[in-house]
Amino acid sequence: MSWQVHLPALVLSVPLLGAFVALLMVKPILRNLWFTFILVATTVLAFLLWRRVGISGTMVYVMGGEKWNLTLPSGMALPIRIIMEVDAFGAFMILTGSLATLASGLFSIRFLDRVHDGNKFVALFFLLFTGMLGLEATGDLFNFFVFLEIASVASFGLIAFWRDSPEAVEASFKYAVLSIFVALLFLIGVGILYGIYGTLNMAAVAKNMQVGFLEKVALVLFITSMAMKCGAVPLHMWEPDAYGQAPAGVSCFLVVVGQASLYGMFRIAFSVYGQAFQGSVLAWIIIVFGLLSMFIGVIMAVIQKEAKRLMAYHCISQTGYMLMGIGLGLLALSSPQAMSEYGFTAMKGGIFHIINNAMYKGLLFLTAGSLFYATGTTELDKLGGISRNMPYTTMMFAVAAAAIAGLPPFNGFVSKLLIYESSFVVHPFLAVVAMVTSILTLASFVKVFQSGFLGPSREELASTREVPLTMIVGMSVLCLMILGLSLMPNWALSNLIEPAARDLVNQASYIQAVMGSGL
Amino acid sequence: MTIGTLYTGFGYWNVYAWIMFFAIGALVVLFIRFTGRSDYEKGTYQDEVFYGGNPVPQDGEDLAVPASSSYWGFTKALASFYEVLVNLHTGILSDYMGFLIVTAAIISLLILL
Amino acid sequence: MINNMPMIAVGALFVIGLYGVLFKRNIIKIAIAVSVVESSTNLFLIVLGYRTGGSIPVYTLAGDFKKMVLPTPQALTLTAIVIGLATTALLLTLIMLLYKHYETLDVYEIRRLRG
Repeated sequence: MSWQVHLPALVLSVPLLGAFVALLMVKPILRNLWFTFILVATTVLAFLLWRRVGISGTMVYVMGGEKWNLTLPSGMALPIRIIMEVDAFGAFMILTGSLATLASGLFSIRFLDRVHDGNKFVALFFLLFTGMLGLEATGDLFNFFVFLEIASVASFGLIAFWRDSPEAVEASFKYAVLSIFVALLFLIGVGILYGIYGTLNMAAVAKNMQVGFLEKVALVLFITSMAMKCGAVPLHMWEPDAYGQAPAGVSCFLVVVGQASLYGMFRIAFSVYGQAFQGSVLAWIIIVFGLLSMFIGVIMAVIQKEAKRLMAYHCISQTGYMLMGIGLGLLALSSPQAMSEYGFTAMKGGIFHIINNAMYKGLLFLTAGSLFYATGTTELDKLGGISRNMPYTTMMFAVAAAAIAGLPPFNGFVSKLLIYESSFVVHPFLAVVAMVTSILTLASFVKVFQSGFLGPSREELASTREVPLTMIVGMSVLCLMILGLSLMPNWALSNLIEPAARDLVNQASYIQAVMGSGL
Repeated sequence: MTIGTLYTGFGYWNVYAWIMFFAIGALVVLFIRFTGRSDYEKGTYQDEVFYGGNPVPQDGEDLAVPASSSYWGFTKALASFYEVLVNLHTGILSDYMGFLIVTAAIISLLILL
Repeated sequence: MINNMPMIAVGALFVIGLYGVLFKRNIIKIAIAVSVVESSTNLFLIVLGYRTGGSIPVYTLAGDFKKMVLPTPQALTLTAIVIGLATTALLLTLIMLLYKHYETLDVYEIRRLRG
């Protein structure tokens, strides 16, 4: 009985502690140390959690129970306490999220020197971290709503962190109204499921699930709210505003928070509803969301003139790849033959794309942030010839841009290859859209590279210097991850991706971890 | 074997194959460069920037193609399409809310019926 | 019919809130409409747990009653109310800042971020 059984609770409580203690830090140096310490500690815990889940299978943790694993007290038909449940897919998401957060946190440290209320920034940052990890660790529907709101409230604060800028407040307001509204839709869905099944635990609901009219209404509410939170077209309009106006370190973080909502959508589609929902309507809805997101996201990105807004539109189009990949997996869920033919490959592609996107999109936002730190603007018309003064940033940008465009040998190529080839089996049109998207992605990043980094130097930018060391360290974390994933796609697929895909498909093991084998 | 062949079920991907391809490509590029003109001399008029016969501007800003002019032909050709798309992103919160409700309605039509 | 009245009230509140969010131009009214939707959600949760003639769900205070209303939805509602407080306060703060920057409360005027 090792302490590691408490990991699902620890990984949430450490950043939560970090948030509230950060408000008490009197000196900036103390705060920075505390910030780094909690970030590293949480990332280590997330890594340990991922490893333990890989060794011993799905972990459950009962909050406030007599014993950590007492999910079903004797004589009870349904679990009564709040249960954390981390399977390989959840652990994978937690690990991905923590790594991206570590990088964005390290990057933000020097940025904090320029603001007065850095303690509040750190507190909000850790609250958002807790919310994100909670979304990925919880096995309880209402708890999911609570973490969704924790993450939302913290992100409103962080998006409007530059409250002297009207655009930042505007972006935060729009996101806030939409996000509060969809969270209420989600809560109504949770209420409906509670009214029918008398429990809030996802596994217990899934075990008793018999899809009737009300369950379908709840499913509509869940899918709509999660699609809005992850920014699928046509519910994406808040996303360029919010990601474009937030501080760059936070934009990098918001990418993985958006992916936590994506996780919620897949968890509900695969684990709660699963094969109880007959027919392929849901899968096609997710695939169409994916197609629209991919294409419209990238076509809007090509004409943007502001670096961060352009990257935010790319974030939408990359979300489309994940939606399409995992939607194809959902399409194949009820037929083992289709699953082995294309479904599992598509899911591997989609899940691989989640970690790839978190790494290179995060890195792109961080390079945009260092452009802003060094020059004071991210307007591409005002930049030019930066590469001579900022060689490291330029190199990182080139790596990330090549990876996101899916140029071989980078990791974006591998996951896109998996998605192309599996979607081609279903219908060639899907693969065509995915490839056109990839080409336009390359085109728009060539534009950023050409107008921002290359070209003749400008007089007003002649005094630009490379960003400080901690910022470069933050970027290097992501850059090394990209290179590692690029050179060792086999290792990543067999150790990170395949267990996650298997656990996502395997609804029975998700139920069994909480409800026991006594069916 | 961590670096190896990745089978996608339809084809494969191998980093070594890529490196080989890259090396061959580099050789071809070097060969083309090697066959270039030999009468080039450093420090003569051959080094000067050719700017359409006009005097070269001093500040880089006057020389560079700004980002808003990139892909001018592409955006011009698709102007009517882009007009529709850009007009969808009105910036008005009520419209975004409307999109949310309409999408929810479409999804519920598809799922409930 | 009379037993369905609370559910009808939930529906009516939701529709009123939705109407406000969609068609009101004043952002304070939009914030109020969001709160109305929130109230309908809370009412929905409470109605879910209500049993006709049930007593409070505390054993020591319930007396001789055998039937209690469900405690879980009430706990959920309390949590939802607390979250609603936080979000409403934050929305109003953002509205205040918006008014300072834009000097208008018209949602059609607050649209610098577009395209």
